[in-house]
Amino acid sequence: MIRDVREVIREEPLMRDRLLALLAGGPLTVRELAAAAGLPASEVMVWVMGMRKYGYVAEEKGPGRIPEYRYAVVRRS
Amino acid sequence: MDYDALVVGSGIGGMETAIKLGDMGYRVLVVEKEPSVGGRMVLLSKVFPTLDCASCIATPKMAATVHHPNVTVVTDSEVTAVARTGDGGFRVRVHTRPRYVDPAACTGCRKCEEACTVAVPDEWNGEMVSRRAAYIAYPQAIPQKALIERPGTSPCTDACPAGIKAHGYVSLVRSGRYEEAFRLILDATPLVGTLGAACYAPCESACTRGELEGPVAIRRLKRFVAERHYAGPDGPGVTPPVPNGKRVAVVGSGPAGLTAAWQLARAGYAVHVFEAGPDAGGFLRQAIPAYRLPAEVLDRDLANLAAVGVTISTDSPVGDPAALRADGYDAVLVATGTPRSRRLGIPGEERAGVATGLAFLRDVRAGRAPDLAGRHVVVVGGGNVAVDAARTAARLGAREVTVAYRRSRGEMPAHPAEVDDALAEGVRILFQVAPVDVTGQEGSAGTAGLRCSRMALGEPDGSGRLIPIPVEGSEFDIPCDLVIAAVGLAPADELAASLPVHPDGTAAVDPRTLQGPQGWLFVAGDAVTGPSDIAHAVGQGRRAAHAIDCWLQGREPDAFAPLDDRLPAVDRTSVLARQRTYAARPRQLPPAALRDEPRDFSRVEPSIGEQEAREAAGRCLDCGVCSECGECLAACPADAIDLAMRGEDRSLDVGAVVVATGYRLFPADLKPQYGYGRFPNVITAMQMERLLAPTRPYTSVLRPSDGRIPLRVAYVMCTGSRDESVGNPLCSKFCCMYSLKQNELLMGVLRFAELTVHYIDIRAVGKGYDEFFEQAKGMGVTFVKGRVAAIRETPEGNLVLRYEDVDRGVVGEADYDLVVLAVGVLPNHDLDRLLSEAGIAFDDFAYIAEADEDYSPAATTIPGIFVAGAVSGPRDIPESIVHAGAAALQVAAHLERRSVPA
Repeated sequence: MIRDVREVIREEPLMRDRLLALLAGGPLTVRELAAAAGLPASEVMVWVMGMRKYGYVAEEKGPGRIPEYRYAVVRRS
Repeated sequence: MDYDALVVGSGIGGMETAIKLGDMGYRVLVVEKEPSVGGRMVLLSKVFPTLDCASCIATPKMAATVHHPNVTVVTDSEVTAVARTGDGGFRVRVHTRPRYVDPAACTGCRKCEEACTVAVPDEWNGEMVSRRAAYIAYPQAIPQKALIERPGTSPCTDACPAGIKAHGYVSLVRSGRYEEAFRLILDATPLVGTLGAACYAPCESACTRGELEGPVAIRRLKRFVAERHYAGPDGPGVTPPVPNGKRVAVVGSGPAGLTAAWQLARAGYAVHVFEAGPDAGGFLRQAIPAYRLPAEVLDRDLANLAAVGVTISTDSPVGDPAALRADGYDAVLVATGTPRSRRLGIPGEERAGVATGLAFLRDVRAGRAPDLAGRHVVVVGGGNVAVDAARTAARLGAREVTVAYRRSRGEMPAHPAEVDDALAEGVRILFQVAPVDVTGQEGSAGTAGLRCSRMALGEPDGSGRLIPIPVEGSEFDIPCDLVIAAVGLAPADELAASLPVHPDGTAAVDPRTLQGPQGWLFVAGDAVTGPSDIAHAVGQGRRAAHAIDCWLQGREPDAFAPLDDRLPAVDRTSVLARQRTYAARPRQLPPAALRDEPRDFSRVEPSIGEQEAREAAGRCLDCGVCSECGECLAACPADAIDLAMRGEDRSLDVGAVVVATGYRLFPADLKPQYGYGRFPNVITAMQMERLLAPTRPYTSVLRPSDGRIPLRVAYVMCTGSRDESVGNPLCSKFCCMYSLKQNELLMGVLRFAELTVHYIDIRAVGKGYDEFFEQAKGMGVTFVKGRVAAIRETPEGNLVLRYEDVDRGVVGEADYDLVVLAVGVLPNHDLDRLLSEAGIAFDDFAYIAEADEDYSPAATTIPGIFVAGAVSGPRDIPESIVHAGAAALQVAAHLERRSVPA
């Protein structure tokens, strides 16, 4: 069962620093980030996309024929 | 007549009608409820069958509408009344919600959005990503101006008698902006640490989370930010004020006086505080026990005042405020609180073993604590002073502490949490017991006991509390060594010498300005309200400072916005209704360390750490959406934010009304067998539109469950349309075509994906539509004819569809990475009530009925009211445009007929 999207999104400011700290070691996919944080991937997806929208992270295309996007910290002024 | 025509709604139908009428020379008002014109079309990826960019077609239309010389557009607005006038026209009422951003100043830079601390679902992106409370709807929105979602004041902020923006600092803590949180509180009062330690937190009583697992620990968050700030070397971080040459004297250094001094000093006044006692702080220093408010916390708060140049003179009682005025102070504020204890009014009260609660607490804080080891102490009263005295007596070693209160627990004025803590510390409370006589041994001036009477509760008094009535013959004795009388406090007698007072001794000043008849004299705090608490006193201090500033600057005393001009609080029920489900998030903070028979004055409540604070703040429900944290105000380079904006209602006369409010999408969760809202990888076609659009919420078309690229995608057609089981037997007409379009686009985006469409039949009626269907088939899209019965989720997040295949005559199951529900459309009911009252007819499917769809399109059953687009039935974009053209001609004919003399 997934949580109500409003509840998940509300936590984005709470989760941001935690996820950015994990990404400080290098770009990760949503699944890798979720595993590292011990959080549901569907919720990490919501937070990462919000962080992408507001310029905290940016994507890098992974290797392979069907790549999986990795997300890296964007340095903010 | 104000406008020839009113067009309600600015989707493609509304825009087209307005432009056409404007081109004909008619004056048109467009009322749009959203913050941008454009409706849904601008949010689509492409249009069918040409695969032209939807934005590229819609945005010129949006600009043409807004900039047309004959068209006026009001966004964020709704029509609230429509009434026919005698001349064949209509009088309409339009309500415009405030945007809280000055559109003339806003440059659309989005700095406010970046700074905002509240994240909510982005409805313009299918709620797949966040937006902020301060936002611009989408990149192509017109007007490209920010707005702030602010349906009301959050209950916590609304409940604060100090006018402190509780929701604001909670949201700042949640975002890790602790210093900003400290400054937000500091903007109201210098007593950040004091309130964090000892406020009774009415904010928490109002917290909507209290309806779930318990309120957000708002006060402890305040304590956290205060402790974090004070642990560092920085001062208050306030720019030194520019002196304005005026002097203000403040008599009393309690929370009201100190807060007023802080506000006035920051406004440039030279402020001198006169304190009668040996130390600054008033009641905070003298009467609140150290286990609740340690002296060092108050000292740190007092340093804030020194940083802005406030002078505090202790041991400086002021008998006559007029003397200060004579000394050259431009204004005098009396904030001397309620230093006088009310008497028990019973025999024996003069005995040596009787003290007032206030005197007892003062003596303890001044280091003159009596030795209570092995003694029995009885406290009379039910207020906070009584409870503080009882818990203090316990700490001084009393063998037994009993509180006698004449009413029941529910009527006890003391804060419930304090009462609970007292009980946990072993204090015994006797309810419905009142003192009759302080007894002593023969020939001794000391106290031997307290004779009491049981009380029955009668009818409610003026305050709503039940009147206690002595029970005849119920008297009994409580042997004790000390009686502490804490039955009420009153202002100093000297107050009456300076200005009129009420019978209870409180100052009779203007409650809004707190100004006395002399003009230069103001009174604030408990001296006005009677005994209250720190937060109320802080609010009084802020109000007094505002009133003094108005008076000294020659301005009319206006409303004090933080207390008098707040938006109404949002309804907690409506807040809770925003979510379908709530995950349990219990309050997990270290509890107060309460123990039976405490013997020291160390703080009972532990501090919380950063992680605990952020987690605690993360429980906030953002009731008012905007938290009023003020970050947008600080970030906006154009000073465009204006939280004082309020809504506006206008009555207008118009010649005709065009309803162009479009349709609403079928809520996919009404087909629970498809799992929408339960399975992350089941999305709607409108969400897919956003994933395919250039301004998409995701990096690409990705699975919501894990961010991977889907390789097997299924479409479930007719979700919520042609479906009697959900009460919508109508075909939604354009779902087939938008699904074909999306599949063709997905073929380009997901080059290796297998795409399958589960359909009943494909309705591709229109120029180039069937060719479009054939094109999709030719591109490799698989079509399976038959209904989908159910969808279930695998542990990997994949989706198993159980479906019928009519052509093959089998029932099968197939595994997909992503399922798209091609949802149908339903009538939009936004204006149903208004139009029903006006007598308009609806068809069998609840769409607005056209009087004669075939020969007089767009005309309704009411002359002068017309429809345009999908509001009268499902229509795709080209059909809506044609229909809008018909509506424009109908309006023109109606207006011209009215101008022909009868």
